[in-house]
Amino acid sequence: MTKIKKIGTCIVAIAAFAGSTSMASAGTLEDVKARGKLVVGVKNDYAPYGMLNDKGQIVGFEVSLAKYVAKELLGSEDKIELVPVVAANRIEFLTAGRIDAIFATLGVTEDRKKVIDFTTEYVSAAGPSVLMAKDATISKWEELKGKPVCGIQGSYYNKKMTEEFGINLVAFKTQPEAYRALKDNRCIGFVFDDMTLQQKIKEADWTGYKVAVAPYEFLPMAGGLRKGDAEFQVAVDAAITKAEAEGKLIEWEAEFGMPHSQYIADRAKAAAAKKN
Amino acid sequence: MFGLDYSWLADSAYQQWLLMGVLNTLKLAAISSIAAMLIGMLGALGLTLRLFWLDALIELFVEVFRNTPPLLQMLFAYFTLSTLGLKVTDPSTGLSVPLLSAFACASIALSLFGGALAIEAFRSGIDTMPRSIIEAARSLGYGRWARFWRIEAPIAARICLPSLTNILTNLFKTTSQASVITVPELMYYAGQIYNDTFRTLEVMLLVLVIYVALVSILTFAMARLEAFMAFPGYGKGH
Repeated sequence: MTKIKKIGTCIVAIAAFAGSTSMASAGTLEDVKARGKLVVGVKNDYAPYGMLNDKGQIVGFEVSLAKYVAKELLGSEDKIELVPVVAANRIEFLTAGRIDAIFATLGVTEDRKKVIDFTTEYVSAAGPSVLMAKDATISKWEELKGKPVCGIQGSYYNKKMTEEFGINLVAFKTQPEAYRALKDNRCIGFVFDDMTLQQKIKEADWTGYKVAVAPYEFLPMAGGLRKGDAEFQVAVDAAITKAEAEGKLIEWEAEFGMPHSQYIADRAKAAAAKKN
Repeated sequence: MFGLDYSWLADSAYQQWLLMGVLNTLKLAAISSIAAMLIGMLGALGLTLRLFWLDALIELFVEVFRNTPPLLQMLFAYFTLSTLGLKVTDPSTGLSVPLLSAFACASIALSLFGGALAIEAFRSGIDTMPRSIIEAARSLGYGRWARFWRIEAPIAARICLPSLTNILTNLFKTTSQASVITVPELMYYAGQIYNDTFRTLEVMLLVLVIYVALVSILTFAMARLEAFMAFPGYGKGH
């Protein structure tokens, strides 16, 4: 009996500890200013949004945006710490207070809105598509039923893939593993965000592959902030809107080789009009 | 209770994922535990033959598989073996596919890792045998094999049971690493569920409870076995 009681107390203690850390959410703006540094979760394996350059530095569309936000908040784009995150841990990092904001290909979904707040939306990203060998005859999601398809653990669409499309999802922790497995024919395709796959097929190693199944949805992307931190959100939103108005996002789009997006152009125009 | 939200458990998809996760974890643990014990017995038996080349081979096996992380062994089996040519042609598609499935890779890696540890455990059981017992057996006229099977092996098995329990519980928990090579065990699905629902604490707590329960069954069974096999007057036979 005492043993069971002890285990019970332990679990309560763990729960209480976890509860107390996630409650410290308000006042990020003061924290950031006091610290003199903005800590941002970004991708480092996800061209064009966040990737490593030849010198091993993290660069990309969202990294530039995060640096711009740091400049607006703290006066210098160098007052930033870039923390590489993956889809599976980025929201945990944010809610646990390890980062101040997420700029890491975060799609705006209703489920996520229950847990975090979003900044203003800045990109309209295509949802997942499927990369397959060039001679593949499959072109519809329904045709993938029962077939092994590589994916990434923690992707928001994984449940839809297995439940709705009946795909036999083989989900890896990271992209390089999934690409390797696709080349090894462990799966017939790789389901991932369309933007990345479109870039992938331009690479020399991947000329034998095509994006065989087109995205079924388009999803706005935004930064992620801890819930109920209005002051910080206003400051970050103002920075993003300023970048849009100055045409920065269009510049970065070109810089990182993204296809021209009408969505970004329209937002830039709207932001500029609002400013004047 | 404690503000925990377990409403996601009502989703039949998540129920099914958890069930499949538990089943795959049990399957993987059972296969690798049995294989590890077989490897352990064979290895320890081989060491008793005192053949220098066999000793060297077994030692090399133990050093390689005990001193490398099981995670690395799984990744190696999954990604590297097929690149090195361990492939077959799939008759339905005509494509060259890896011979070993993710589950097979995980089972093999865990069996070899657990086997290496088990060889050492069994060996320690045989090595710590009091000389007086062996001498007593000799003086009673036992030959080499009879001595091994009727006296040394039963005593060694009893001596190494506690460390074997440790190895098996560790092996059980190490199955969680198989999620890295896409074996859909408990941690694989748990990760997907908390990514979907963001109820990280709740999912982690549930998974923790499931692991504690499953491993407790194992340790309980091993403790019973230990009590059942105890020498009268020693350890649990007190």
